[in-house]
Amino acid sequence: MIELLPQAAALIFTFEGIGVLLFGTILGIILGALPGIGSTVAVAMVLPFTLTMSQAPAILLLLAIYAGSVYGGSVSAILINTPGTPQSAATCLDGYPMAKRGEAGLALGWSTVASTIGGLTSAVVLLLAAPQLAALALNFGPIETFALILLGLTCIVSVSEGSLLKGLVAGSIGLFLGCVGCDPITGEARFTFGQFQLISGFNLLAVVIGVFALSEVLLRAAAKDDADHGLVSFSGIVLPPLSAWRGRVKGLVKSVAIGNGIGILPGTGAATAAFIAYAEAQRSSPNRKNFGKGEPDGLIASESANNAVTGGALVPTLALGIPGDAITAVMLATLTLHGVTPGIRLMADNPVLIAAIFSGFFVINLLLLPMGMLVAKGAAPLLRLREGYMLVLIVLLCAVGVYFVRGNPFDLMVMGVAGVLGFILRRQGMPMPPLVIGMVLGPTLEISLRQGLIITDGSFMAFFTGHPIALVLVICAGVMVCLPLIRAVRARLGLVHLHKG
Amino acid sequence: MSVLTERRITSLALLLIAAALLSQTFGQSYSGLGAFSPMFFPQIVLGFWLFVATLDLGAELRQRHSMTRPRIVRVILIALACVTFLLLMTRIGFFLAAVPFSVFALLVLGLRTPVPIVLVGVGVPAALVALFNHLLKLPLPSSPWAWWF
Repeated sequence: MIELLPQAAALIFTFEGIGVLLFGTILGIILGALPGIGSTVAVAMVLPFTLTMSQAPAILLLLAIYAGSVYGGSVSAILINTPGTPQSAATCLDGYPMAKRGEAGLALGWSTVASTIGGLTSAVVLLLAAPQLAALALNFGPIETFALILLGLTCIVSVSEGSLLKGLVAGSIGLFLGCVGCDPITGEARFTFGQFQLISGFNLLAVVIGVFALSEVLLRAAAKDDADHGLVSFSGIVLPPLSAWRGRVKGLVKSVAIGNGIGILPGTGAATAAFIAYAEAQRSSPNRKNFGKGEPDGLIASESANNAVTGGALVPTLALGIPGDAITAVMLATLTLHGVTPGIRLMADNPVLIAAIFSGFFVINLLLLPMGMLVAKGAAPLLRLREGYMLVLIVLLCAVGVYFVRGNPFDLMVMGVAGVLGFILRRQGMPMPPLVIGMVLGPTLEISLRQGLIITDGSFMAFFTGHPIALVLVICAGVMVCLPLIRAVRARLGLVHLHKG
Repeated sequence: MSVLTERRITSLALLLIAAALLSQTFGQSYSGLGAFSPMFFPQIVLGFWLFVATLDLGAELRQRHSMTRPRIVRVILIALACVTFLLLMTRIGFFLAAVPFSVFALLVLGLRTPVPIVLVGVGVPAALVALFNHLLKLPLPSSPWAWWF
């Protein structure tokens, strides 16, 4: 990978490359700071505009939006006590109290430095871990690929916030949507109901934007209370002095390690990492009594951990084609739309592009500090925008974005219908990431399963007898599915004991 | 509490959709081809969907959820406005479809100050047209009556 760095640098350090890194980081911070948009919607909104760009700048732009928006969420969390992204929810706990006592600039300074350090370490982890994982994956045939995708689908279990059953229903809907159109082996049309536009299947982007962004607009319109943000005074970021870091470095290292570790696990996400790191800091910090009252240790824990997740989550996404969370599921769709197939062959087929992605990700995280300082002050007035203006802007940008993919009016209708369906399903507590994961992984799962069955003469048992890697992956998938069930049963038994007691 | 709650109706609808789609996969000329059949994988997926949707409906019938009533009129109006805008966008052009949509949506969302409504309602679509049609040369659908918007 190191020997490819000069070629990667030639891809990144062009006029276009530097432009997208700067613009993407700034836009990511602004979109992340706007409450309600969040990293997933931010990436989905910008995705269509990248379709006319060449591969490397397009992917770098979306990575910059991703990393920038995760940091940007802390700006609104600290200034108006509203996390711009779910990942920044833990940041509110100590960030807003600091802002209320007149230390908004310092709170943003702590979060900016912690985010930068978290992001930079995760870029190193991505650089070191992804090629190793990908090298192992090169030995995979259709049967191992099937087992791997099955393992990837089990992350539906962990991204099914609250209800596993609803997550599984959403995942099944996504898998079915992936079946619509031509059969990949025989070319026969399936589930098109006479609509010729459906021969090529549903446009992935139209569905993603519909179920995430448009349904969010409808959910916000349905809410009883309009957002009302209290304001604190803020005149710019103040970086904490070096002496203030004494006694906090250990906590920072621990939080970064938690963020990276959780990021690599498929389906866990930055919000989980931020809260686990926060809880651990609260347990082990010498200043634990001040947690919740504006303690920088709490801010450092949540912000370094949530940014450390970004690189970690990209490891299984790029190396194995398994998305780590909702955002990486959208990133997976992005790569596919740009003609890059994440997974087993990615590193072997596109070594320079991958080196450019890794190096670009490092540069993006370096840019977080200066861009954060520049943008946070400018973004503060935007946070006072009434929600209605933001919702209208989202609809217009989504329509423009989907239109640019193919210029097809049918895709706009698909987005509209997906938005309404997404609204109905989300109202009943159904998570949307499983739907997208099912739609993205479904076609590969189908082809590998059918190819495997053809190879083994229709014997499904032969998938495991002569293929130890597949067997291990399927066992891992079984464990991933069973663990939450066991935890749920144990929790229920615990409750029964409590009632009896 | 009524037996027909919003969650139960949605769960039942998902179950019925899965059953209807699964029934479509049987009796085809290529049934019995095993892994070669185009319906081989959809049957597995739809069978699984039907199974988990049944479990989900069962869980919904056992549970009691008190859901907040949405501002249903507002949601319907915004959804209809969105769909109309998306339908008209490719027929009368982006600008002419976006301006009434934006102004209407802002009014429905409770905004009443005229100057910002006009600024956002006309300014944002105009800025997008200027950016994409004239600066980036990525044309948005234009009106049948004038090429420049």
